[in-house]
Amino acid sequence: MEKIVRIENLIFKYANNNDEKRVLDDISITIDKGSFTAIIGKNGSGKSTIAKNINALLLPTEGNVFVYEYNTKADEHIWDIRQCAGMVFQNPDNQIVSSVVEDDVAFGPENLGIEPQEIRRRVDYALKEVDMENFRKRPPHMLSGGQKQRVAIAGVVAMKPDCIIFDEPTAMLDPRGRKEVMKIIKELHREGITVILITHFMEEAAQADRIIIMDDGKIEMDGSPVEIFEKSNRLKELNLDVPLAVELRDRLLRKGLNISKDIIDKESMVDYLCQLK
Amino acid sequence: MSIKVENLCHVYRKGLPEESKALDEVSFDVSDNQILGVIGHTGSGKSTLLQHLNGLLKADSGEISIDGMRLYAPEVSMLDIRKKVGLVFQYPEYQLFEETVAKDIAFGPKNLGLTEEEIDSRVREAMSLVNLDYDTFSEKSPFDLSGGQKRRVAIAGVLAMKPKILILDEPTAGLDPKTHKDILNMVVDIHRKEKNITVFVSHNMNDIANISDNIIVMDKGKCVLQGKPEEVFSHSDFIKSIGLDLPDVTQLMKDLGIEREDGKAIFSLDEAENMIFNMIGGSK
Repeated sequence: MEKIVRIENLIFKYANNNDEKRVLDDISITIDKGSFTAIIGKNGSGKSTIAKNINALLLPTEGNVFVYEYNTKADEHIWDIRQCAGMVFQNPDNQIVSSVVEDDVAFGPENLGIEPQEIRRRVDYALKEVDMENFRKRPPHMLSGGQKQRVAIAGVVAMKPDCIIFDEPTAMLDPRGRKEVMKIIKELHREGITVILITHFMEEAAQADRIIIMDDGKIEMDGSPVEIFEKSNRLKELNLDVPLAVELRDRLLRKGLNISKDIIDKESMVDYLCQLK
Repeated sequence: MSIKVENLCHVYRKGLPEESKALDEVSFDVSDNQILGVIGHTGSGKSTLLQHLNGLLKADSGEISIDGMRLYAPEVSMLDIRKKVGLVFQYPEYQLFEETVAKDIAFGPKNLGLTEEEIDSRVREAMSLVNLDYDTFSEKSPFDLSGGQKRRVAIAGVLAMKPKILILDEPTAGLDPKTHKDILNMVVDIHRKEKNITVFVSHNMNDIANISDNIIVMDKGKCVLQGKPEEVFSHSDFIKSIGLDLPDVTQLMKDLGIEREDGKAIFSLDEAENMIFNMIGGSK
């Protein structure tokens, strides 16, 4: 499997002096092209700092980060890196620059110096991807939070990145907005985009192929959702949530029920229990 | 202490083509020492309703009485209302502005014209209610604190006004799971210690079900349902039809087709666990 991101012994400190705390403490990971990875951890665990190191918004204090063959420290490749790895942030209001939805989506490609016809194609495509084509002439400030966040995602999609890093994209949204955005993220992944999702919400992380759990600047756990939820006690020690289905599974296991460890979501739990009825 | 809301109506942009009824004949009561949960889809009128309760917005028609005091009576001043009713907005940490935590919390009481000693004692009391140690935090800049700590400072600023009614608009929005739990527990603790009326808006149905004594459900400016959590969430099809979710445990039990004999909604995982175990065990 081709690696799209390679992080080698990454150490990151916000101020470059020796007594300053290591926000990231010797992190090494690789991300497969086309994969869907969730990074989860409480506030201050370093998860957003990793994201910003991947697209060169921050540079390593020690160690190296590569996007494809480009080292993020190589200044001449910074635009190649940012085009490969786009980023969507938490607050939709901070990411919208224009007063018309489609102008906002065109902002990125325009800055790449792309031909107008091609920009038109990309904007139409991107708005369709996030299901916002009917809103293209609207002013963004009249949209709901979830809709604004979808416009922000379209702005990144229009750059045609291979990888999109979502930094808590649903933290400020209501439940409906959260579902809309998760649906778009999963669709983009299905279409081949490598997704890195930074989130607080375990229910969202459970939808990825791989979960990386950060604590205090270190990688605490790394594995498939089934592997991660097998150690639900450790998750609780780390003050992280456990999905309801996993919590219930553990309780039924304690009561002596023989229930598969593969059951980690509500649907499979309901199916399983209904068979026993 | 009580809140009585009768036939409250509020129209935005009255007389213009885009006129919209944000509140439409809303009526409810909250009695002493209760936690009232307010739920509704985005745009259903929740925040508009909260802003009426402390007089930030004035209704086009209808009445609000706080402890028998009619808000719209000519002799009632805004100061009287705001002394009784404290409102904590969404993302209240964005409203912090002072150099130190203590000064920020003291801002409200200072404007009441209280003495220095009284202000100082209120700041200390408010900080202890939100679990911020006075000696550690009072001289810090609020901007050097974590998100959860900032939110505590902002809530302390409202508590320092000693409101008998505390209104919180999504107090846990945007927090990580640990901080979320801490702030929610803190709200319940404050409610118990201060014996206030707490009104809180949330999109998190688990929180609403677990801490509210009563719930009002808003949809398109109307209060469409009210009652105890286990009654409100037993109307599962209706709740879903207005774009809301059920608490996680309630939804799971509905999917499993397990019901309580009295038809009331189930929130507690302990109860759910036992009912599921009985369901399986019973069939063997």
